[in-house]
Amino acid sequence: MKKGVFILLLGLAAAAAAYACVYFVCTSSARNLQRSSQPELAWLKQEFHLSDSEFKRISELHAAYLPQCAEMCLEVDAQNQRLRALLAATNQMTAEIESAITESARLRGQCQRNMLEHFYEVSRTMPPEQGRRYLEWVQDRTCLANEGMMSGQ
Amino acid sequence: MSTNEPGNHDEALGSLLKEWSANAPLPLHFQEAVWRRIEVAQAPAAASVWTAIAHWIGTAMPRPALAASYLAILLTIGATAGWTRGRHEAAQVNGELGERYIRVLDPYATPRQ
Repeated sequence: MKKGVFILLLGLAAAAAAYACVYFVCTSSARNLQRSSQPELAWLKQEFHLSDSEFKRISELHAAYLPQCAEMCLEVDAQNQRLRALLAATNQMTAEIESAITESARLRGQCQRNMLEHFYEVSRTMPPEQGRRYLEWVQDRTCLANEGMMSGQ
Repeated sequence: MSTNEPGNHDEALGSLLKEWSANAPLPLHFQEAVWRRIEVAQAPAAASVWTAIAHWIGTAMPRPALAASYLAILLTIGATAGWTRGRHEAAQVNGELGERYIRVLDPYATPRQ
């Protein structure tokens, strides 16, 4: 009886150990990504199979792009607040609202242009096949997709 | 001959029992109480299932072929469950990091004030 119970418990312990080991191995890559200093870039390297030199170059491009992106964010926020204030102050179309809408569209266009330039530059740094895949991927997920700029819609 | 002798005593008791009759009414819910006691008396039969299982564990489990199969099956189940869960979580983390990359680069990907 004791031997039987021991085998029964051993089986359960083996199942738990197998679960833990396989789970640990399967999630180790994701854990490494999360532990890195810039997880999103580490993910990019893994996802698009970048070499160290490609990754270094893309990290530089990324670092150079971020300040102008942050500046653009501030402008977009400020413009949104301006437009919201104008909309709250009246119940009819005014010249100021029209001009604010035009400015919002200009900012959006500029933002898209900057992003697209960055994406092209990053994609050219990647191996050709990965670069194509990267372009498709970012275009599907950024505001470029909403405008249908790249899909011809 | 004394009436205290065993033979005489049995005869006297026998004739007394033959004369005796129970006229008192049965207590309330007598039948239900009897059935309940019967059910209680049968309960050990259920316990015997556990006894059988314990007996099977004690006798069949130690057999090498059965023990090896049992361990192999549980190992496979554990590994498969770990693989499924691990893959799912890794995919989830990858998806989140991809979204994070986009949010960093696209001012319109994050809801603005």
